[in-house]
Amino acid sequence: MEQQYETEFIFKYWLKFKNILMDGIIIGAANTMFALAATVIGPFKNFLPNFIMAHSLGITVSLAILFSVLIFRPRTWKLFLLIAGIDICFGLFIGLQISFIIMRYFFDIVLSWQTQNLGPQAMLAGIMASAVILYFLTTKIRLRYRNEMIEQEKIKRMAVEKESLLANLRMLQAQIEPHFLFNTLSNILSLIDTKPDKGKSMLLDLTKYLRTSLSRTLPEKTMLSQEITMIKAYLDIQKIRMDERLNYTIDVPDNLWQHPFPPMLLQPLVENALKHGLEPKVEGGEIVIRAIRDNGLLKVEVSDTGLGFSDFDTSRVGITNVRERLGLLFGEKGRLIIEENKPHGVLAIIEVPISEL
Amino acid sequence: MSYKAIIADDEKELRTYLKRMLAETWPQLEICGEAINGKEALKMVDAYAPHVAFLDIKMPGLSGLDVARKIADTCRIVFITAFDQYAVEAFEHEAVDYLVKPVTKERLLQTINRLKKQLQSSPEPPDGLAEMITKVLTNLQNNAHAGYRYLQWIKTQHKTNVRLISVEEVDYFQAGDKYTLVITAQEEALIKKSIKELSQELDPQKFWQIHRGTIVNVSRIENVGRSLTGRGTLKLKNRPDTLTVSRQYLHLFKQM
Repeated sequence: MEQQYETEFIFKYWLKFKNILMDGIIIGAANTMFALAATVIGPFKNFLPNFIMAHSLGITVSLAILFSVLIFRPRTWKLFLLIAGIDICFGLFIGLQISFIIMRYFFDIVLSWQTQNLGPQAMLAGIMASAVILYFLTTKIRLRYRNEMIEQEKIKRMAVEKESLLANLRMLQAQIEPHFLFNTLSNILSLIDTKPDKGKSMLLDLTKYLRTSLSRTLPEKTMLSQEITMIKAYLDIQKIRMDERLNYTIDVPDNLWQHPFPPMLLQPLVENALKHGLEPKVEGGEIVIRAIRDNGLLKVEVSDTGLGFSDFDTSRVGITNVRERLGLLFGEKGRLIIEENKPHGVLAIIEVPISEL
Repeated sequence: MSYKAIIADDEKELRTYLKRMLAETWPQLEICGEAINGKEALKMVDAYAPHVAFLDIKMPGLSGLDVARKIADTCRIVFITAFDQYAVEAFEHEAVDYLVKPVTKERLLQTINRLKKQLQSSPEPPDGLAEMITKVLTNLQNNAHAGYRYLQWIKTQHKTNVRLISVEEVDYFQAGDKYTLVITAQEEALIKKSIKELSQELDPQKFWQIHRGTIVNVSRIENVGRSLTGRGTLKLKNRPDTLTVSRQYLHLFKQM
């Protein structure tokens, strides 16, 4: 693919006048050098005819190559070389005729194709010179193209990295809600005097919850069981806070317990179900977490019997984060589906491809 | 003179904790009721006519602020919050009494001393309290809803369930005969909302109407080219479809 578009780049490169001028100067300098060399070793010991001939050949060949590249936009190197070859032969021939005309009209030097075997010699020298210059220029352009590609690749990679870093950061920031933390601490403080055992178990749950959520700065491979353990600790804390207003069920089959599952996807959904669904509801309700394997997909559901969609028109940051992370991890194959739970509440389903876990 | 108070908090342990702290710091205060939600708090204020109400802000049903607005001319109010920057700022600004969880003895003593002084000078609450609380409430609501003025979720019917699609997932909306087609990377769904309604409800920074019958998610646009007829053809990222940009909307792409 890349190879195919390299020639395209020559086209783009020569679309800029500045680049044409630069290459023109290089070609001009090279041709002057060739003229000097021809004066030393060629049949004419006079510099002027050599100079005129070298430049008229050079200019016609360069223009021929330039215009045919701009017009035909060769896609492959083979095509490019074919076109350049034709241009060289054709350009040299025309250029030679032009130089004869210039010599005759301006300097009274009559030259022809046969003069001292000039034609074949000039053609041969021209082909060699063109090949050298062409090789030099295409290498230069190719190098520049490579650098540009590398630069673009770098920018692209940096953008992706930045995006994933930001997503992780947002995830971490959203992870521990200060409201939850301070409420839990007040509860523990209260329980220490009245029911020290309950307070102790709440403190242990909080420790478990904090350890898991704070230690995961990078999304390494984790098991579903780790996620569930953390969620259980979280729900146990909330259970003490909300008392009989909260019930929960976790239904994960034994064979999925040790299944790999990315961290920080499930937790925000559970927190949302609680914060927007059950906490604001006077009677409270139930949360059910269920995992199933289905058709090459691992599906994890979080359903609640809370307030439901009525409270839903404000953006829920947690959900946006989950979707972003699913996208980063699995592209279009990872999905977050949000539906109405019957008879009320919200059902959130995470679908991830098992093959990519 | 002895005073009466109620405590309203949905968390049992926190009610118990505050009650104990109050018993230590203000033994003369009689706690005549403990409410577990906003509605109960209202009932208790009616029934017992307390001098002071300690109200947790976050309660199911009616919030502490909603309750406060209704009872502000009958009793004095102390708000309790676990962590709410906005609320605390608003309280500071309006000089409303508040406690932060976990409640410390020092802070509670400060509040009690102030309450005692106020109650001694006049047992009736000051006149402006209801207004102050209303101000706090509107402030908070403005804060909470800033940025969410636009449509965030599209409700669609999926088999027998109602499914919610976040607008961020949508690639584009296309008008159909009676319905509007919602197209995302993974599914297509029909909704009743018309393109016209959508164009008014969606965030104009994120969604552009490019045709009488099409609204596109700006973040999905790959590029826009011009066709010979003067219309634009719009290519989408990660999709083969091309959309037509009618001349009327071509100005949107002038700088692109």
